[in-house]
Amino acid sequence: MGAIQVDGLRKSYGSVDAVDGMEFTVDRGELYGFLGPNGAGKTTTIRVLTGQIEPDAGDVRVLETDPVADPIETRRRVGILPEQESPPSFLTPREYLEFVGEVRDLDPERVAEQTAAWADRLGFESKLDTLHTDLSRGQQQKVMIAQAFVHEPDVVFIDEPLANLDPLVQEQVKRFLVSYAAGDNAVFVSTHNIDVAEEICTRVGIVADGRLVTERSLEDGGDDESLLEVFLDRVEREETRDTPTLERLET
Amino acid sequence: MTGADPTDGANAAGTGTADGANAADATRSGAGLSTRRLLAVLFREEWRLHTQLFGGWRFALFPFVIALLSVSGTVALVETGTAPATVAGGLHVLAFGFGLYSGTAGFAGSDMLENVFGRLSLLLSSSTTLPLSRRRLLGAFLLKDGLFYAVAFVLPMALGSVAVDGLSAATPVSVGLFWLSLCLVFAFGMAVTVALIAVRTRGTPPWAIGLVVGLAIVGGWATGSLEPLRRVLVPISGSAVAAGGLAVGTLVVAAGSLLLYDPTYGRPSRTATDRFARISDALPIDDAPLVTKSLLDLARSSGGVWKPFVSVTILLVLVAALVGVVDTITGIAPAPGIFFGGVLGLSAFTTYNWLTQFDSLEAYLTYPVSIADVFRAKRIAFVLVGAPTVAVPYLAAVLWFEATLVDAAVGAVLLAGYALYYYGLTVYIAGFDPNEFLFDAVRFATFTLGVAVALVPTLVAGFVVVPPSAELAVGLGVAGVGLGFVGVVLSSRAGPRWEQRYRNGH
Repeated sequence: MGAIQVDGLRKSYGSVDAVDGMEFTVDRGELYGFLGPNGAGKTTTIRVLTGQIEPDAGDVRVLETDPVADPIETRRRVGILPEQESPPSFLTPREYLEFVGEVRDLDPERVAEQTAAWADRLGFESKLDTLHTDLSRGQQQKVMIAQAFVHEPDVVFIDEPLANLDPLVQEQVKRFLVSYAAGDNAVFVSTHNIDVAEEICTRVGIVADGRLVTERSLEDGGDDESLLEVFLDRVEREETRDTPTLERLET
Repeated sequence: MTGADPTDGANAAGTGTADGANAADATRSGAGLSTRRLLAVLFREEWRLHTQLFGGWRFALFPFVIALLSVSGTVALVETGTAPATVAGGLHVLAFGFGLYSGTAGFAGSDMLENVFGRLSLLLSSSTTLPLSRRRLLGAFLLKDGLFYAVAFVLPMALGSVAVDGLSAATPVSVGLFWLSLCLVFAFGMAVTVALIAVRTRGTPPWAIGLVVGLAIVGGWATGSLEPLRRVLVPISGSAVAAGGLAVGTLVVAAGSLLLYDPTYGRPSRTATDRFARISDALPIDDAPLVTKSLLDLARSSGGVWKPFVSVTILLVLVAALVGVVDTITGIAPAPGIFFGGVLGLSAFTTYNWLTQFDSLEAYLTYPVSIADVFRAKRIAFVLVGAPTVAVPYLAAVLWFEATLVDAAVGAVLLAGYALYYYGLTVYIAGFDPNEFLFDAVRFATFTLGVAVALVPTLVAGFVVVPPSAELAVGLGVAGVGLGFVGVVLSSRAGPRWEQRYRNGH
């Protein structure tokens, strides 16, 4: 059974179909890239998979838990790095990670070790006692990355992992994500950055208009078409499907 | 801090065009947009902000709700024997208080407003990315706010004068004059707040500002200057010269504040010692981390833990002034314990508002906690912060107004019970956004009705039976406990109610 299973997922907001029959599976050991233009349904899918919102229809399973029936258990077992910028908080990064540790029932000593390790890895040791609200966006993103991994979850959902990070830290985060997935974990990355997806993902799914339009393995590397070409072609095709152009009307 | 606005040196004539060729010309900073055009855009933004936040055109009903409340309230007061001059004075106190509150728009750019509206979500923030003077933009923003609220809020309030003056052929003129009078004190309130914020941007610590304001109030009280000030702040019943003086004074304070305002003011990065674990460990409850986060967010944001206390104190001062006015004019003084216990319970709204300013429910949905957990934690934080915040002003009031022991005890029960009730009502109706719901006509009307059901009979009883009889004391005590219980039930049900809404994605 896959670490993440999505079957016939539908979710609409009023008359807008945000997700319209999404189906895919992600296994342990995979770094799965979820690619799509703005408004394609990526964030809605992540919010359903992490029990933040309920779908209108479909079955979803994450680590054999049901995010619809038991969202707390799902969120306990996964890590989440949300797309939405967290509201300014007046905790320091050290306190914030303690907060996350307590909410997740982690041993305080383990949290302290993880905090030190992440601060060292992403270079925010000197900011550990600065109020979160006074950190730059890049520094805030580093802290948010740390909170997603502090409990070493088997599945991690990440929305735009490299936003606001400098190139050096981007490289470190990319290497970490690859090694983390290789350690029999599943990492689900939603991103617009096709180059990054091509570089680090083992498989990608391309979404448009709330549907998964194609999947592609990036491990064999034998395709003639680049990922960008595939993305542009499939997304355009999907958008054309819903838009009655003059040419199609003539047909 | 130099106080110099890098874009202020540019011309302010506002006659240029905004074509692409000229856009790069640094000497024309901000001139491409005339002030009239800027105001029009700001008005459109204000309207869209409200309609987006409060369910579209439903927001348009809000002035009608204010008008209804104002007219029905003043009619009820006049019919129950309150002097028309007292009612007029009360409406001016409300307009002044609302002006003080509206002036906090000058906090734009600080963590206060960023937490409410987010960074860069307002045109006001565009001075950071466009060649527009921050000072000019703030001035236009405040002018827009003043005009917008003068029409949307103060005008419906002014309709209450119909109950004061009665209906006649001259009613439109008298309402118009009353509106101008309310607008003057409203604008003065706004100008005072903006002036205080401008002083703050020059590095004056908040405690020093608070001290000066406190000393000014106490000094005015001690020297008997408050009575002349009261006359000036009710222009409709004063002389034209006094009203003109207030208008000129407001303009001078407003203009001076904008000149004093330092648009480059910014605090250096703040650090803090690790207090989270210590506080969380000291709280013997399951939701300790969530409660601790709320407490630290409150304590470390602008104004610190004093914010709720200042809100309650403002309420106390306004109510005490009103009691004094009523006493002076009619010779009737209420039972202070019952009166202040009932009214100060309203601070539950402001205290809860402060506790929800610095986080959002969505942010908690990435952790293994339910929305019901978050609401429960907020209730605990509310009790921890609200109890001492309201107890001190209440004690001061009952001591100052020499309440009897029975009256003070009943008032204390009312205070605790009604505060819990108002809290439950707020959380149930408004969820995590108590500030925003003030502008939603339906929610505001529901909240007002819920408050009135408890408060109006209590205030009437407090005025009619002085000191309270044993029967009244027992009756009010039971009402306090009963409504407190209702409040706990409402706040307990708020979690599941809002959880379902959020999980549906609405």
